[in-house]
Amino acid sequence: MVNRGLFAGYDTGDFYDEMFSEAGVPRPQYTQLYQRLAAMDPVHFEERRKLADLSFLIQGITFTVYSDGRGTERLFPFDLIPRILPHSEWERIDRGLSQRVVALNLFLQDVYGKQCIFQDRQISRSLIYSCPHFRREAIGVEVPRGIHTHICGIDLVRDSKSGEFYVLEDNVRTPSGISYVLENRLVMTRTLPDAFQACEVLPVNHYPAELSRILRSLSPRGEEDAQIALLTPGIYNSAYFEHSFLAQQMGIELVEGRDLIVDGGIVYMKTIHGLKRVDVIYRRVDDDFLDSLCFRPDSLLGVPGLMAAYRAGNVALANAVGNGVADDKAIYALVPTFIRYYLGEDPILRSVDTYICAKRTDLSYVLDHLPELVVKAVGESGGYGMLIGPTADSKKIEDFRTRIQANPRNYIAQPVIPLSRVPSYDPTTGTVAGRHVDLRPYCLYDGQKVTIVPGGLTRVALQRNSLVVNSSQGGGSKDTWVLRGES
Amino acid sequence: MLSRIAESLFWLARYIERAEDTARILDVNYHMLLEQSQQSYRLRWEPLIIMAGEEKRFRELYGEVNGENVFEFLAFRQDNPSSIVQCISKARENARTIRDSISREMWEDINGLFYSTSNFNPHDEMAAGPHRFCDQIKFGTHRFHGVTDATLPHDEGWQFLRVGWSLERAEMTARLVDVQYQNLLDELPTTNAADNHQWMAVLRSVGAYEAYHRQYHSPIEPEKVAGMLILNSLHPRSIRFSAMEVQAGLRAVSGTGHFAYADEAERLAGEPVERLSYDKVEEIFERGLHEYLNEVLGLCGSIGDDIARIYFYYAVVA
Repeated sequence: MVNRGLFAGYDTGDFYDEMFSEAGVPRPQYTQLYQRLAAMDPVHFEERRKLADLSFLIQGITFTVYSDGRGTERLFPFDLIPRILPHSEWERIDRGLSQRVVALNLFLQDVYGKQCIFQDRQISRSLIYSCPHFRREAIGVEVPRGIHTHICGIDLVRDSKSGEFYVLEDNVRTPSGISYVLENRLVMTRTLPDAFQACEVLPVNHYPAELSRILRSLSPRGEEDAQIALLTPGIYNSAYFEHSFLAQQMGIELVEGRDLIVDGGIVYMKTIHGLKRVDVIYRRVDDDFLDSLCFRPDSLLGVPGLMAAYRAGNVALANAVGNGVADDKAIYALVPTFIRYYLGEDPILRSVDTYICAKRTDLSYVLDHLPELVVKAVGESGGYGMLIGPTADSKKIEDFRTRIQANPRNYIAQPVIPLSRVPSYDPTTGTVAGRHVDLRPYCLYDGQKVTIVPGGLTRVALQRNSLVVNSSQGGGSKDTWVLRGES
Repeated sequence: MLSRIAESLFWLARYIERAEDTARILDVNYHMLLEQSQQSYRLRWEPLIIMAGEEKRFRELYGEVNGENVFEFLAFRQDNPSSIVQCISKARENARTIRDSISREMWEDINGLFYSTSNFNPHDEMAAGPHRFCDQIKFGTHRFHGVTDATLPHDEGWQFLRVGWSLERAEMTARLVDVQYQNLLDELPTTNAADNHQWMAVLRSVGAYEAYHRQYHSPIEPEKVAGMLILNSLHPRSIRFSAMEVQAGLRAVSGTGHFAYADEAERLAGEPVERLSYDKVEEIFERGLHEYLNEVLGLCGSIGDDIARIYFYYAVVA
């Protein structure tokens, strides 16, 4: 079969293509959409794309780039062709992620509590205590309802060889991106309403209500009078749009550190009618900057005394302090162990083989195979501190070799996963080409069950042949559709 | 309501109002001058710079006071903090820091206004004359008022917006009347046809031309124009009306009834309201219009300072 319209000349290449099983043959979940897009005049498609862009601009869904010294606002590129998952595949992902979130939460409870996992000799104490994001200040804190991982963003990728999903990384500190999921969906339904309706897509917009319910349940003074605030580093933070968006959607106060004050172990906000007590803080400020009396003394973003109020149980924080120990990239390799140890279950989702450079045997393998591997610094995120062996020049490889040898604990290595691709529109050429994607679903945990809005954020590497999907590195996003019934 | 949010709302409103008033004055002044002789041209542009309080900066940037320079300076210059594009940009920055506390429609409206304003090309606009640009600003700010009224709950936040734009409007009208009258009375002591045009322009720049005729049924006279812009209790751009709005907004925030005040800002806000309801325009001219308006401006400044002290800044020692 031959591709038509926008898809004329489309090449699936040597990768797993999410839309086509072979040239011109769409997978079942894509049949409806393909028929509509292929029949559409490319000129009309371009018009709709421009409308979508304008809509993002007017809504101010931008991030700020400071490279030109003036601070210009850029759009986070949105690709109009959605990523579609069949219901059955999503169900399995949902179960796998829920299992993982519960295990990560039990691990954090344990590490900052009884520490059974060390006594049972499942992992070594030194591996945990050497994590850059381990916080001894959080030991012994009784967090409300035993929840540490209220909000997790877990990155998945589909391996082109096996066609299976793998967990690439856990984000259990302050994962961002959910606002793009909700906004992408809104713009999508406005831009391609007919295609959207025909496909019967599961809704995502219950996220803010569910998050709000969980935050409310943490209040030390009961849910009735709970005063909840979202703590943002401020307007210059790249995720500021998301902070204000979520605060508005949940109807909670958006505060900066300077709006809060701790007096007698109680957190207050400064209002026009005096001080008002705050019970729950959804903080989007990293541990390091949360309290200058406890962590970095030069931080102006946090609230002095906040940790004391937290330890006294007078204020709840989401996510909990010290979660970074669970998404350390060296700990990632141990999550299957946690799932077996804490839950007595086999992991539903696969993890990528990981070489921990802190282990001597792994280290020598990594140093011998650098050009084939992806090397990551354990505490970094956002695509920083990474070596992609196959595309790096020898200078960069040698640079990493030196760095790894100097501090092996700081690095892990993984084989390169050939990511699956989704057809994506290139406005410069007016054609559609395959681009690599990942998937970040957002998981909410209330201490009993995990709620995951169907789909999540599909990030796409819009640069040709690029595997890096981070927005700071030229990535964009797509709407992710999970279909209602079987297809 | 967080103090920081109240402060941003207050300033958001002030910047919007300043942008609108500047656009109105620019537009009317320009079109009035099309009918004037060349020699009076320079004299008529100068007051606009004085009114904006930016004489020094203007002199540093330009050699000559002419329409084109003044238009560019007041409309487009990024290095003039009172220029229209700067006011819109600052209004939007304030809105951006509190976008969770205003309605989505308000944010999209101000953000859209910001982008459409930055898309104007200064050179094209100056060639085309200021009308197109000024009209866009005027309609844009009117739309923002409408969207705000229709989508934001009329709670404390709304009251801070109300206080912000009313206070700014009172000051702008006071400056407009002061500067234009100084100029007109100094230069042309006798009433003649040319003068009439200028008073017409003053009325038009605050949108009070038709209202004037409905109220007075008479030719345009300086005392009556001043009376209208200073003392009228119903025209939304008069100083008295604006002062009443400031007082009503502050009372709504503190929950104080009539004949009482809760703080210094409210007490001071009562003063211009009381004064403006008793003073007669003849008395104002007898005592000197300039002195009178200066007192009003001084009061507006103190009210602003007290609002900041009472509602925005915390003297709590951590």
